[in-house]
Amino acid sequence: MASSNADRALGFAGMVLFASTVASRASAQPQQAEGFAVDRFYTSAPGGGWFVMDDLAMRGGLGGGMAMTTDYASNPLRVAGGSQPLAVVSNQATADFGFAVTYDRWRLYLNLDAPLLNKGQNGMVGDYRFTAPSVDLGSKPDALSDVRIGLDTRLLGSPTGAFRLGASAQLLVPEGSSSDYETDGTVRAMVRALVAGDVGPIAYAGQLGVHIRPFDGSPTPGSPEGSELLYGIAAGARFPVVGDAVVVIGPEVYGETAFKAFLGSTTTGLEALLTSRVEGTRDNGAQVRVKLGTGGGIDPNFGAPEWRAVLSVEVFDHGAKAPKP
Amino acid sequence: MLARPLRGCLVACILFTAADARAQAAPPAAHEDEAFDMMNVLSHNGLHDIKDESWNAYGQFTYISSWHPSFAAPYTNANGSVNSLIPDAEHGYTGSATLFFGVRLWRGGEGYFVPEFIAELPFSQLRGIGGAIQNFELQKTGSPTGQLYRSRTYVRHTIGFGGAPTEKTSDPMQLATVVDSRRLVLTGGNFTVLDFFDRNSVTWDPRQTFLNMAFMTHASWDFPADARGYSYGAAMEFYWDDWAVRFGRMLPPQDPNSEPVDFRFWEFYGDQVELEHDHMLLGQPGAVRLLGYRNHVYSGRFADAIAAFEANPAENAADCGANLYNFGSGNAMAPDLCWVRKPNVKVGAGINLEQHVTGEIGVFFRGMYSDGQSEVDAFNSADRSLSFGSVAKGSAWHRPFDVTGVGFAMSWISQVHAQYLAMGGIDNFIGDGHLHQAGEGVVDVFYSLNLFKAIWLSADYQYLWNPGFNADRGPVNIFGARIHGEL
Repeated sequence: MASSNADRALGFAGMVLFASTVASRASAQPQQAEGFAVDRFYTSAPGGGWFVMDDLAMRGGLGGGMAMTTDYASNPLRVAGGSQPLAVVSNQATADFGFAVTYDRWRLYLNLDAPLLNKGQNGMVGDYRFTAPSVDLGSKPDALSDVRIGLDTRLLGSPTGAFRLGASAQLLVPEGSSSDYETDGTVRAMVRALVAGDVGPIAYAGQLGVHIRPFDGSPTPGSPEGSELLYGIAAGARFPVVGDAVVVIGPEVYGETAFKAFLGSTTTGLEALLTSRVEGTRDNGAQVRVKLGTGGGIDPNFGAPEWRAVLSVEVFDHGAKAPKP
Repeated sequence: MLARPLRGCLVACILFTAADARAQAAPPAAHEDEAFDMMNVLSHNGLHDIKDESWNAYGQFTYISSWHPSFAAPYTNANGSVNSLIPDAEHGYTGSATLFFGVRLWRGGEGYFVPEFIAELPFSQLRGIGGAIQNFELQKTGSPTGQLYRSRTYVRHTIGFGGAPTEKTSDPMQLATVVDSRRLVLTGGNFTVLDFFDRNSVTWDPRQTFLNMAFMTHASWDFPADARGYSYGAAMEFYWDDWAVRFGRMLPPQDPNSEPVDFRFWEFYGDQVELEHDHMLLGQPGAVRLLGYRNHVYSGRFADAIAAFEANPAENAADCGANLYNFGSGNAMAPDLCWVRKPNVKVGAGINLEQHVTGEIGVFFRGMYSDGQSEVDAFNSADRSLSFGSVAKGSAWHRPFDVTGVGFAMSWISQVHAQYLAMGGIDNFIGDGHLHQAGEGVVDVFYSLNLFKAIWLSADYQYLWNPGFNADRGPVNIFGARIHGEL
């Protein structure tokens, strides 16, 4: 009997040892890091003036705009943890197609992002295995990523006044592949308060808002940490050129910080662009705006790249027929 | 007892004659001026110049449901082949939605962007039918989970050389303007070759007319495209009054019928050239189009696959493995194209006729001969094809937006293609393991009932015989319903 108890105890100890071995081996297994929407360059609506901010200059009758914005970002996702950061996404190029309808002080728009290039490095950071995206125009000739539907309105101020206050709501519908770092795979939303104005030759704009982002990559390094505060400011000097066209030159600074670790060193992204644009200023008829920007990440987290170059072409029309008072 | 093809012809003739006798309407236009769509609504309210556009936007949605009851088949997927149409009753569908954006970029310059969404469930995983796939919307990469993609992103520039002013109406992918009847049109970007080549005003928009793919274009035209039917390339169109000549170079898929596109346009490409003449016959408009194509693509020749298998039976369909692109056959007694893919040339030539019989009835004919020596690279398995029929609108019974039509189509494969299939080989769409070679035929008859000038409800019936060019299987009755809306 004693022998039998000893055997049972030995067997139990063996099982515990086996279980703990399996458990420890299991915990040592690297986890696959989930992909997410790396591209943080949420362009303003077609006709919105700035790259990210909005000039809130909607006016006139039924009008609208179409825009194509292409951008290249170098190292938009570097994950720290090893001897040197792992560039999970090292080269990213996107073409953004935007379509807007405006009426009086309202703007409704649709933005579709087409990933042109998304490449990076595979590797391990801590216990996480990162698989880089491998997307180019050949492998995904017709891909689109998250669809953005937005509604902007100017609440206070005239379209060309010194102070304008507006509001913006955007819904992001998931599309594309999260393993290619194109989407979170979840519905997202942004709600922003917007300000803009023109004081003499100076134009300015700003935003403060909330990015409702259910995806919480924590504790995966480099991943989003839930909902975020959005912020940004832009200012530029306006110079008349030929006819009614003007050139506006100035910086745009924008970023986000996760509410979970507000303004934390690894949970805050900040990016700056030096921008210039040539634009028509007529009230009626189709006008063209060409924008060029370059800059990079000041606080390079969450998709703020080492450097970025952006080119945008817009055709917009404020609408010939003003609404009846 | 009539042979099946003859019986099919007879059915087609009876239907054709019946439709011809009662129909008194016009062929469907691209987009009616009176249609209830966004641009017309804006125009009618003085908010848009629909004769001289700086932009336009249109949309469409289409849901097609198809069903076939069980049919006779002495064998299915014999010896490990995987490409038979399943003989049990099946249901399939497609749902698509498209937005068409156009903008004038500069004088003579236009840009177009067309996002599209599709979800689909094909019969038998889109296998078993050669040139007469029952639903033209089906894509090789489709799935019941909807996918959003860019179908087109391209720029067009028109250079006028005089002649008569020609009005271009506001349509999806066309800004309203006036152009010269003598002009050069250059297009570059991402589009489908069907946007510019082999157009036919009688069967132009298959979302309002025939459901069967055999009537969308030449069934045997292996036009370069990815698995969805789109690609990148450039086209040049030169119009001189009633004459037009077109040339286009498009990029092929990296592997046959796959989605990735090969951008090495100097090495792999599909070239097409088309000559068109528009005419008036007995006071009614018509057109004749001659089309030739030459593909230089990475593909397999049937004779090479047979020779490789006969020289070394280890190079069979079951042993392609993971490294050689293949279609999943498990038949170890059959040759397979996976062993012999290399740069190959494929050529073909065809004719496309359209003629309005009265102001309200149109007839069409298409015929094409391709060499049939190598596998399908982008479209479907047919090597030779013809189709003809008639489409009419419902003006005679006071429903001018209704559309009805009847069509007959046949397609065939080459002798070496048939030999390959008879040995148990498969291509991307067909291969039953055995083959009793025959032409594959279909009769398609439909009626589209218009509601509110913007929605069409269609009923469609197809009689398909010799599916997969195999006289041992079928015939198949296919019943379809469609709801299509335009915005």
